[in-house]
Amino acid sequence: MTRFLLRRLLLAVPTLFGVTAVVFATVALVPGDPVAAFLGPGAPPEARRELTERLGLDEPLPVRYVDWLGHALNGDLGTSVAGQRPVADLLLPALGQTLTLTAAAFLLVLLGGVALGALGALRPRGPGGRISGALSTLAVSAPQYSVALLLIAVFAVGLRWLPAGGTNDAFGPGGPADLARHLVLPAVAAALVPLGLTARVFRAALGTVLAGELADSLRARGLRPAAVLRHCVHNASPALLTIGGLQLAYLLEGVVFVETLFAWPGVGRLLYDALTARDLPLVQGGVLVVAVAFVGVNILVDAAHAAIDPRVRV
Amino acid sequence: MTRTARTRSRAVALPAAAVLLAAAAGCAGSGGTTGAGGGDGRGGTLVIGATGKLPNTDTVIGGAGFEGKRLVSFQLYEGLTRYELLQGTDKPPVVTGALATDWQVAADRRTWTFTLRKGVKFQDGTPFDADAVVFNLARYLDKGSPEYTDALGAAAAEYAGDIASYRTTDADHVELVTKEPNGHFPEDLAHVLIASPTAVRKTGSANFAQHPVGTGPFSFVSQTEGQQIELAANKDYWRGAPKLDRLVVKALPDAAARTAALRSGGVNWIEYPNPDDIDSLKADGVTLATNSYDHLWYWILDTSKAPWNDPRVRRAANYAIDRKAIADKLLHGTADPAFQAAPRATAAYDPAGDVYSYDPAKARQLLAEAGVPNGFATSVTVPTGGSGNLLPVPIAEALQRDLAAVGIKVELRTTDWTTLIGAEAKGQVALGSDAVAQSTTLFQSEALLPLFIGSKSPFWTGHYANPQVDELLAGSAADADQAARQAGYRKALTLVTQDAPWLFVVNDRNPRALSPKVHGLVQPQSWFLDLTTVRVR
Repeated sequence: MTRFLLRRLLLAVPTLFGVTAVVFATVALVPGDPVAAFLGPGAPPEARRELTERLGLDEPLPVRYVDWLGHALNGDLGTSVAGQRPVADLLLPALGQTLTLTAAAFLLVLLGGVALGALGALRPRGPGGRISGALSTLAVSAPQYSVALLLIAVFAVGLRWLPAGGTNDAFGPGGPADLARHLVLPAVAAALVPLGLTARVFRAALGTVLAGELADSLRARGLRPAAVLRHCVHNASPALLTIGGLQLAYLLEGVVFVETLFAWPGVGRLLYDALTARDLPLVQGGVLVVAVAFVGVNILVDAAHAAIDPRVRV
Repeated sequence: MTRTARTRSRAVALPAAAVLLAAAAGCAGSGGTTGAGGGDGRGGTLVIGATGKLPNTDTVIGGAGFEGKRLVSFQLYEGLTRYELLQGTDKPPVVTGALATDWQVAADRRTWTFTLRKGVKFQDGTPFDADAVVFNLARYLDKGSPEYTDALGAAAAEYAGDIASYRTTDADHVELVTKEPNGHFPEDLAHVLIASPTAVRKTGSANFAQHPVGTGPFSFVSQTEGQQIELAANKDYWRGAPKLDRLVVKALPDAAARTAALRSGGVNWIEYPNPDDIDSLKADGVTLATNSYDHLWYWILDTSKAPWNDPRVRRAANYAIDRKAIADKLLHGTADPAFQAAPRATAAYDPAGDVYSYDPAKARQLLAEAGVPNGFATSVTVPTGGSGNLLPVPIAEALQRDLAAVGIKVELRTTDWTTLIGAEAKGQVALGSDAVAQSTTLFQSEALLPLFIGSKSPFWTGHYANPQVDELLAGSAADADQAARQAGYRKALTLVTQDAPWLFVVNDRNPRALSPKVHGLVQPQSWFLDLTTVRVR
């Protein structure tokens, strides 16, 4: 198991190099000047030139990348051009917000996906199966942007049960309950598609196991239906893990539009603003953090997979 | 996440999909009252949904455009002067004393002596004096100062770059010398913000943005990164404590999110609501505040390229467009048609100069005179968004239709604002079009005027040159007499109107939507705001 994890970690290193190099080159080649964007139209050309030099933006691209990499390896992600603050100071709170939202959405995906999938697998031809099929299809195919706007229109503006966006109530003192209230709508909006997919995959996997020889032999030995189901769920869980891991990664990247619509100050929105301002240090830091999180999630999923199914470890 | 919240999420998740399709249509407009109640003091809490990012709170760095300046920086800090924004809503603001009470310029037109206001304290209790002024100027201009940073120096250059020297003459006076005669120097200084030297020394420049201290009407409480900046009333403010208890500025860049936040009571004030939402917001009882300011939305035409090199063709285009339809129908009254170069809310504006009415027949006649009776094909680069750009693409599409009606076939090329500005800063038009769409404020501040008008201006991508305009602008800018300066500007802009190097389109009215609980706003003819009279009840 240790060797398996080590191998995965070593493989992650070139991945991170590749991602940061490609993003660095892409952002630097996009037209638009971070210094002009920061200083505004009123800045005298000399001020612009001077700041460009001070920030090292006049160096050749490979030099800038190696320089950035050297600092990043020492834990220094540089200073945001647009915000004039250390990149880490801006990134860490945003990462916390994104992880909070992702975790809440992922919880919904797992609970909802398993419940809906199991409902469908147990009575594939009964009303449970039909409801499961209809709801999961609806979740997958409903246009996310519209659903998010509808959630806001109904539950925030219409019924006023939940806030329309943000992470805290500016009029009140805040606190965990306040945060939870603010999490509901964005988490639901982010969870819908992965929830539907997870439900369908789990339904198929569990259905296959339930209709297979394992289930037959368990029943033949006189096990109660609940015990049969428990064993079958264990056998169907690698499929759940695979799809769950994929959906978790999807959520991490995919919450950008949710963050925008619900004014959630996460990494997605920070990166979007940074790209708009051509704020290269912030973009690089953000991409690095997202890439690390992405690779980390994949390693975790693989490790969990290996723990459940020993064949994977070989 | 608590257990109850989790249960609630699940409970919402599943019925949501089913409820949505059935209930959606009717619910959107049903919000009754808007805005949540105030705090426990007399003035309440104002929560503003801003359209952009939150600014860096260290004095001049900002970085969030004029919006960050008006909602945060100008509330925390003041310069030696300020805009008088409460004098009424029917004329542009004048520049008045803030940390200085009075000033004189010597006969050399470069040496300015400022008398400082007595008895003013920074929000941390530090008394304001001449040493504080010198300390701050050194922080911006003197690379040897321990508090100087590249970012401060670069950001301050816009307004303080003209200062050649500065010194205290006694505890209540400072003497500033400009490099060239500069008539609008007092206005420039409204943007050169003064921070508490004690506070800067305590944190160092690197960390001052986390603990900013100025003399403004509101003092800093906290910042939640990327989310909100919270300020509290400065009870000892020298003009009297503001009526509000708290002021919270939230970053809500998405227009739909801003409107939803106002409707659901998450904020009680939003900047620039989507014009399409205005009618329904009004129906919900929301107060819409608008006023003209020195804004112009226009196309810069490349006068070095045929046929735009012919003034008759440029005038023809200006007669071909229906500005009123754009202002009233497309922008729902949040802008006024611009019939000339000078924005309405400026001293350079003269109603008699409103020459370009909607007259397609005259446009065709001018095109015929210019030898292009059947029109021509051209192109324009349009930003997809950006500060003050209203609805850039829909406006450009409306102009495209109007111009096509007289035979001018325009290809629209869209790009993002940063790309467009970046190219302009190099004197180029992004995507190499024959014109570029943009907006600007022209007189607040006057320091920015030479950027946009005059043959040497860096943003003069249209290559229009009129020596008379250059001369009038340069002469006026140096004149310390405000009336003389304004007369010169008026003459210069009259010439620009005649030469029509731009397609003049609309003047924005700076719309903001307020919960009915928000009272006391004086919406000035300015991009800036005085929030001391506002209260929430």
